[in-house]
Amino acid sequence: MRFTATSEPVRTGALWAVALAACLPAAAAATEGLEHFEKRVRPLLAAQCQACHNPQLQSGGIDLASGEGFAKARDEAALISLEDPASSRLLAIVGYTARVKMPPGGKLSEEDLGVLGRWVREGAPWPGAELRAAVLADSEQGAFTEEQLSYWAFQPVSQPRPPAVSNLAWPRNAIDRFILAKLEQQGLEPAPPVSRLTWLRRAHFDLTGLPPSPDEALAFSADRSPGAWERAVDRLLASPRYGERWGRHWLDVARYADSTGNDEDHRYPYAWKYRDYVIEAFNSDLPYDRFVTEQIAGDLLSTEPDPRGVIATGFLALGPKAIAQQDKTRMLYDVYDEQIEVVSKAMLGLTVACARCHDHKFDPILTKDYYSLAGIFASTRSFRDAEAHVSRMLLKPLVPQEQYERYQAEQMAIKNRRIERDNVGDIEIEQLVEAEASRVAEYMLAARRAYEDGEDEASVAGAEDLDAGRLAKWVAYLRPVQPKRAQLADWHSAGPDQRAVAAAAYQQRFEGTLKEWHHTIRRWRKDTIELIRNGTMPPRPKPRFQAGRDRFFFDVYAAKDGPLLSFRGEERDRALQPQTLAAVRRLGEELEKLERSAIPEPPMANAVEDGEPVEQHVFVRGDYSAKGEPAPKVFPAILAGFDQQPVRTGSGRLELARWIASPSNPLTARVMANRIWQKQFGQGIVRTPSNFGKLGAPPTHPELLDWLAADFVEQGWSVKAMHRRILLSSTYRSSSATSAEAAEADPENLWLSRFHRRRLDVEELRDGMLAVDGSIEFAMGGTLQSGFGTDRENSNDRLSIDPATTPRRLVYIPLRRANLPTLLNLFDFGDAVTSLGKRPVTNVAPQALFMMNSEFVARRASNLAQLLMASVPGQDAERARRAHLAVLTREPSGAEVDTALSYLAQLMERFPEASERDAWASYCRILLASNEFLYID
Amino acid sequence: MTHTTARGGREPLTRRGMLREGACGFGMLALAGLLGNDRLRAGSVALDDADPLAVREPHFAPKAKRVIFLFMHGGPSSVDTFEYKPYLEKNHGNPLPIERPLAFDDEEPGPLMKPLWQFRPGGESGIPVSDLFPHVRECADELCLIHSMVGEGVDHGAALLQTFTGTSTFTRPSLGSWVVYGLGTENSNLPGYVTIKPALSHGGAKNWSSAFLPGSFQGTPIGHAGLQVADVRGEPIEYLANQHLSGERQRWELDMLRNVNRRHAEARRHDPRLEARIQSFELAFRMQMQAPEAFEVEKESEATKRLYGLDDPVTADFGWQCLLARRLCERDVRFVQCTHSYKWDQHSDLYNRHNANAAEVDRPIAGLLKDLRSRGLLEDTLVIWAGEFGRTPVSQGGDGRDHNPYGYTIWMAGAGVKRGYRYGATDEIGYHAAVNRMHIHDFHATVLHLLGLDHENLTYRFSGRDFRLTDVAGLVHRDILA
Repeated sequence: MRFTATSEPVRTGALWAVALAACLPAAAAATEGLEHFEKRVRPLLAAQCQACHNPQLQSGGIDLASGEGFAKARDEAALISLEDPASSRLLAIVGYTARVKMPPGGKLSEEDLGVLGRWVREGAPWPGAELRAAVLADSEQGAFTEEQLSYWAFQPVSQPRPPAVSNLAWPRNAIDRFILAKLEQQGLEPAPPVSRLTWLRRAHFDLTGLPPSPDEALAFSADRSPGAWERAVDRLLASPRYGERWGRHWLDVARYADSTGNDEDHRYPYAWKYRDYVIEAFNSDLPYDRFVTEQIAGDLLSTEPDPRGVIATGFLALGPKAIAQQDKTRMLYDVYDEQIEVVSKAMLGLTVACARCHDHKFDPILTKDYYSLAGIFASTRSFRDAEAHVSRMLLKPLVPQEQYERYQAEQMAIKNRRIERDNVGDIEIEQLVEAEASRVAEYMLAARRAYEDGEDEASVAGAEDLDAGRLAKWVAYLRPVQPKRAQLADWHSAGPDQRAVAAAAYQQRFEGTLKEWHHTIRRWRKDTIELIRNGTMPPRPKPRFQAGRDRFFFDVYAAKDGPLLSFRGEERDRALQPQTLAAVRRLGEELEKLERSAIPEPPMANAVEDGEPVEQHVFVRGDYSAKGEPAPKVFPAILAGFDQQPVRTGSGRLELARWIASPSNPLTARVMANRIWQKQFGQGIVRTPSNFGKLGAPPTHPELLDWLAADFVEQGWSVKAMHRRILLSSTYRSSSATSAEAAEADPENLWLSRFHRRRLDVEELRDGMLAVDGSIEFAMGGTLQSGFGTDRENSNDRLSIDPATTPRRLVYIPLRRANLPTLLNLFDFGDAVTSLGKRPVTNVAPQALFMMNSEFVARRASNLAQLLMASVPGQDAERARRAHLAVLTREPSGAEVDTALSYLAQLMERFPEASERDAWASYCRILLASNEFLYID
Repeated sequence: MTHTTARGGREPLTRRGMLREGACGFGMLALAGLLGNDRLRAGSVALDDADPLAVREPHFAPKAKRVIFLFMHGGPSSVDTFEYKPYLEKNHGNPLPIERPLAFDDEEPGPLMKPLWQFRPGGESGIPVSDLFPHVRECADELCLIHSMVGEGVDHGAALLQTFTGTSTFTRPSLGSWVVYGLGTENSNLPGYVTIKPALSHGGAKNWSSAFLPGSFQGTPIGHAGLQVADVRGEPIEYLANQHLSGERQRWELDMLRNVNRRHAEARRHDPRLEARIQSFELAFRMQMQAPEAFEVEKESEATKRLYGLDDPVTADFGWQCLLARRLCERDVRFVQCTHSYKWDQHSDLYNRHNANAAEVDRPIAGLLKDLRSRGLLEDTLVIWAGEFGRTPVSQGGDGRDHNPYGYTIWMAGAGVKRGYRYGATDEIGYHAAVNRMHIHDFHATVLHLLGLDHENLTYRFSGRDFRLTDVAGLVHRDILA
């Protein structure tokens, strides 16, 4: 059953959304909703309601016997709330919770209530009633309410002045005044400052994801000269480690991974170039507006070839994709949807993709806005061959087109030469096979004598003048096994007297198939030789015999493993005439020479490019076969207004990029300023970093957010400048110690009455341990796993690389979406599938098991012990001090040193098998597993 | 024991990050017990909220307490196993009389192909089962066959993802994750959701992932499909054992760690996360002492091992999986999946390969059903047998069949479902579900129902929206309920 909406174009509007539940694959849902209606709801209404609520009686003015009647009742008698279906009056009436209770004779059964409930929650679809549901406010401008138009996040960024505060001693900069003003309003005191080393540990992890080395700690501790803090911040921001840490945060937001995930999980062979681009962008403090523009339209910024711009569009290209989906239109629109989602969440903090099937339920994003954006991505190519059985992703050369074409031509020549070489031998081998085919029956009969009659295989071979090796294969193949093989059923059922007849029949059929097959091959060869001579198009691949056509033939002649009647490898060489073999070898040498001198593959990237511009229409309820009104390429009306000039040439990506990266876009700077704030303070001013819409959290400090956003733009969109301001503020220097009053008055720390103590994330934990024991390697960039496609089913190669096996930073581990490393799953990395603005934090026992039992942690502890013992020979107290400095970035107290030393002594006494190094390793593991290491004060 | 109601309607685990970061093991019950005092309960962490795996009361009285899902990766042919189609016998070799729906292979479809195996009635119910499953046929009276399954994916990846998560388009929590989210787990020494030798392809870990649900609801894999049982037995769960230290020495170290952490926490008041993490080590230590016992399949009697086919190399692998599944169920693991690795995808050579595949699983499955029955476990355990789709009634490539998600057979057995029952049917050709179509959403709704969960009320708020396993669809098929 297919639901056809209306004869008129469906107009969209914010108020009268055709309310299905929310974002979902709508076509299926709509069909199912209607099916549910027809199957369950209509009969129920007929049985329970229509005796009174019919067109004639219209009891209470309500007709529930037709779509029209229902539409009227729904809208005029407000039976159904389209905005919040679950609270619909109809449900209260039948649930006997409203004043009116229906049906009057008794409450419906739970099951019937369930049927109605489901239908209502799905928007109460009823054929014939949907048109009115979609009738909207009169003008498009009227599509938005006053409330929506004045929503804070859609207003231009203001330029608030830092407020006046009474405590003049505390603020160091403007940020502090905004924070302090709120604290004073709440009657809260700012937290006292932390020690230098606590601040240093905080700043190191926040900016580089690594702890300070003991030397760095001691130096900073001792540096009492003016500007020490500023110098520390500058040193950290200049470190290449900074880009690795902050690039990784953006990679979360960009849902970066190295494979398509979803159904087939094919590698993105050059995804790492995008990752390296992001790291480099942070390290070089690429202005954020430029960063945004390049990721959406870097390939369109210059007419000259610009590898970096092309690579940047990996942002769009590297999403999850269902490349084996056979409904290719659906697959493509799922890809566009994913691109809309990542762009809107990452850069605008909006959940635009919710409007795919219906106007956004909570935010003023229209379905038409969605399809206007879809048109931009539908005019952009992410595949070089989307229609292929398994769609092939777009790989873009990073060299000029002529250079790439030369490379392709050369590769084709090599391929052709290989075919020519193979042909020379194949022609002769085919004749040999044809001769051998006439002996199939002989081999079968001889084999049977061996496996059934118990005759000696070698003597049978000798007596019948058969090749002993070949006969052995026949014996193995023909011997009956369980379960039986269908293709040998006739052979096995032939009794002793019928053997010869059966063998002859098998041979006859074999020869028949062989004749046909060789005919096919020879025709292909003739065509191919011609094509190669003309050089006009690449030759078709050599046809392969389809096993199902004749499985006996396939087993004997074509099976990949151990065919009985073919010539491969050395056997083949021996079988060829000497002059043929010489010719094959000569051609092989030429081929090798060609391969050796070939231009190496030019650098490539996973990227997007402009395709044919598409005139996009709205898809009614997300169903691509139900085209609605045209959706020209414009930007969401609530932000960009209704009088936009649609983009008419090209994909519109560049225009989209420029619109987002504009200082006048109210969201872009706010969203990024908030992301930076969140990462430094553990929580954003808006606590839902990728959702600034109505269901997101409102800003705790709206003026501060605007000040930061305005300042961000003013400083040339410099991310590093913002770090500097934040790190040098008193707010950032606050202690995380919580007083009873603060815990009571500000339990969630909304007002930053203290610093938010935070756990290390998985990168900080792993890389931090590798740094502490000195085994980390700071090589940058490149890939640890090159290659294309995917790997053998169920092989270990399908797994991502185990992070324990490399000393490189975790950001460089390729992420196979279908099988992320256990470590990442264990420590809340996220799934690398959807844009992630903030990672969840969990505390589960398997994490403790990792600290207790993994080889990785054992090795870190052991290495650190070794390091301590080597660097301070014989001085246990000094070793304990170094251990604390290295792991916890602080001096231990005397009591702590004593405790450590007595622990070591007692351990060795109690467990005599433990060496001194074992004892130190045990103590080091305790420090690494401690809360003090895991939490940043 | 902490009992709260099953989740729904709100975001129960996120009463702010503070609580979300509370300590949880594979479950919290043991923690409460382990402490043996009221420190944690009365202290800073609110157990109900902090422990995602605490046992929860279902929405209504459940028929099943736990699930064993026997997954036949690749897609066994329904018309050759559990749904007999006489039409195919009569019309063998004739062209398909209807328009072919979207197939996996674009080539011209072959003609109709009759079932390659004889169907015979099994048990008192006389349900016809083909000669591929002679042992399962003996258990025919346990089976509740559903002949009318419908999915949307014509490729393996899409079909697996929909079977296990409801959708192939988005990343969503898996069925097992939803179940554990809804009900919690009754044995905190073991994971609530275990998947034995799962497939790494066709969605891989997405098929047992918790997606946006907290990570504790993720399935715990025991090895993966590419490994031999021998590779898996040693360390079934990663990091569960320390290869170097004796238990006593490790305990000694952990005591010191606890002291160090306590001192640290005393200087940092009002932060329940610190104590919660201290407890996570205690729980972990206890878990590693107790969990391995559940995996000691070799301790079973010889008779039991034989019943599952552990004595025969052909059946030993899947037999081990099934027997382990029973042991885990006995220990109250909520959701266990066994995977017969990607073998059923017979685009060609259907006869030989289906024979070989069925030979590997037939005896173990029958053994499992009999064993569960004799131990009384079938009373409250739901067994599900399914592939990601069935196969076409027309041949492909001469001697194979293509994918068919439009109408295929799965079966359930045990808690809450009718015995010896056939539900739904495909059209006479065996291509499309025609009677009582059960979409995968309906299947999910029905499974949740059997577990006492209302699929419409088992929700989780994420990214501004309440998500369900069944999206906006799903209908409980009551006719199959006992």
